[in-house]
Amino acid sequence: MKKRGIGYGCTFYGTGYGNGFPDVSVAEAELNSDGKINVYVGATECGQGSDTIMRQIAAESFGSSVEIINYYSTDTDIMKDSGTAAASRQTYNTGNALRLASEKLKDRVIEKAKDLLNLNTTVGLKIENGEVFLNSFKATKISLSEIASSLGDEKLREEATFVAHSTEMDEETGQGCPYWPYTFGAAAVEVEVDTETGKVDIIRAASAQDVGRAINPELVEGQMDGGFAMGYGYAVFEDLNLKNGKIVNNRFTNYLIPTAMDMPELEKIIIEDPESTGPYGAKGIGEPVMTYVAPAILNAIYDATGVRMTEIPVTPERLLKALKESETK
Amino acid sequence: MYSSVGKREFRVDAESKVTGKAIYPQDIYMDGMLHGKTFRSSVPHARIKVDVSEAEAIEGVVKVFTAKDITGENYHGVLFKDHEVFCEKKVRRIGDPIAFVVAETPEIAEEALKKIVVEYDEIEGVFDPVKAMEEGAPQVHDGQNNAVYHYKIRKGDVEEGFAKSDVIVEKEYRTGMVDHAFLQPEAGISYMEGDKVVVCVSTQYPHFDRIEVAEALGIPEEQVRILNPAIGGAFGGREDITMQIHLALASRTLKKPVKSIYDREESFLAHSKRHAFIMKYKTGATSDGKLLATEVTIIGDTGAYASWVCNVLRKGGVHATGPYEVPNVKVDSYGVYTNNPFAGAMRGFGATQPPVAYEQQMDIIAEKLGMDPIEFRMKNIFRKGSITATGQELYESVTAVECLEAVASKINKNNR
Repeated sequence: MKKRGIGYGCTFYGTGYGNGFPDVSVAEAELNSDGKINVYVGATECGQGSDTIMRQIAAESFGSSVEIINYYSTDTDIMKDSGTAAASRQTYNTGNALRLASEKLKDRVIEKAKDLLNLNTTVGLKIENGEVFLNSFKATKISLSEIASSLGDEKLREEATFVAHSTEMDEETGQGCPYWPYTFGAAAVEVEVDTETGKVDIIRAASAQDVGRAINPELVEGQMDGGFAMGYGYAVFEDLNLKNGKIVNNRFTNYLIPTAMDMPELEKIIIEDPESTGPYGAKGIGEPVMTYVAPAILNAIYDATGVRMTEIPVTPERLLKALKESETK
Repeated sequence: MYSSVGKREFRVDAESKVTGKAIYPQDIYMDGMLHGKTFRSSVPHARIKVDVSEAEAIEGVVKVFTAKDITGENYHGVLFKDHEVFCEKKVRRIGDPIAFVVAETPEIAEEALKKIVVEYDEIEGVFDPVKAMEEGAPQVHDGQNNAVYHYKIRKGDVEEGFAKSDVIVEKEYRTGMVDHAFLQPEAGISYMEGDKVVVCVSTQYPHFDRIEVAEALGIPEEQVRILNPAIGGAFGGREDITMQIHLALASRTLKKPVKSIYDREESFLAHSKRHAFIMKYKTGATSDGKLLATEVTIIGDTGAYASWVCNVLRKGGVHATGPYEVPNVKVDSYGVYTNNPFAGAMRGFGATQPPVAYEQQMDIIAEKLGMDPIEFRMKNIFRKGSITATGQELYESVTAVECLEAVASKINKNNR
């Protein structure tokens, strides 16, 4: 028999290394000789989208789109340490460091523009699309490439460091401020359980993710899809089948992960409420997007069958056994 | 009005990845490069004697590296330096690296692996973290208690909270170890650039790899350069060292480029797993739906090595009560060594396991109270000004209510 049920999961997640451990990102921004902006950060692009959103954060300082940015993030000889691509910390931490560095560079570029335009103040100057101009008299302007070529051997290069705030908790009571910021999220799913085969299908699903502010909504949604798939796999598929320390399921023929065929059409809702300490209000979301998925599925399985699954993954074997036990009770 | 922030900017690496132009470490070939393959332990717990003489005698084998060839420290590890680059006297898990064969072709390297002779003097293993905590359990790391970490929360008085509760739910939940299952198994190439060793690998933290390579090779950090080309997913599984030191040691010793590629089976052995958690929950609430007390014990299996065990079990403990205000909280989380695959960072990092428990507890209590699960959550959920189990005030950007309302409005019993 096929039985349907609905379940919810709601979670929170603390960003960063935590517990007072120094969570430090360094970023650098530099005016290139052709007027483009060189950005150097040690943030690793693992597929999460940092190469794209870091460009967006830096471009924002110059009132431009990402084309103005030359981006360097793959060589320890040329970029400084921005910490690990983990703990959902790169958008927040390195994003903050990069915003600070970009703003410092922008200020220096505008200062140069003031001199080159023979103005007595930087007040009223604006930077947009590769040009610095007087907002009230737009014909008074100079391009970033003109500024760059006026510099000769001088380099406009700025560095900034951002350190996230967290405190070491009390050893006896665990009281303190271990992480900041916290993100929130929730999922709702409707499952269909086949009580003959023990298979769990997801019929409908929705995820809502708090982001502070989305630097790139498309990439947030990408993370939500990926997080849902990983949470789904965690709840019902993925099993190493450990036998005395041996991984029996060590290839994708027996270590099952969800495929596109398993994925439901996920409704993705981005919740924005800017975080004042984040770059343009942004928080990191790489990890939280998966945390609410498995519990929503487990609660839906209960709603469908009346069986409470306390061990994951809920493989067909495990679910059939539990269904049988509940019948005999 | 923003010029770039908030825009659905097309991802800059998309085209190269979908057209196959992106360069992953496996795609890099160099003139005169050698090929490295790792010999790994086939047993979970044993004292070992290693003989590579026969393997090294094969034509086309350039060198077989073992613990005695390490030029710096024979260790690495993100928190404790408890991994050996090559196990010297003892193995602690199946898959522990013992030797690294470098040969002229991958086929010869593969052949040489079969000629390595390891005498295993097996020791009783321990695979259940609860048993590993018991007095007299086999010690995974000699002279060291298997329970390596204990985190505590003590807030209010849980006994009093339970005494005043109208409903109490007690249950045990279990989550298994899982793999990151990233698409691209580990691969890398290392070569010399003057006196500098260059290691080209997919890693989540190139600057930390540089430190660990430098320590193991016994050279200054300035003589190590990490290049990080395209990465096919990570999810925490590329935080601990896998082949980086093997490659760097080999290319620096032999003054030639050395390349290594893991297949999927070896990838499963090489990197960390998500910690398996055993979570005992006791939750108490009043008849009108207010949470009064939560008591949680978490035992996390870190397998043979510590990796991030303290941080993961700490994060698990901090998040154990979920996004809900609870006045009385007692949490104990433990990280324990076993002879299982080692556990480390994985997406969620200790905050992924507890929701499996606390969100089911919430539904069970709601049902006992005859309350809608959303309505019950809303009576306890974090809002602006809420205080967490660690006493932290959430003073801004607290959107748990909006998130839960958003999904509940999309999927509920009325719109089937």
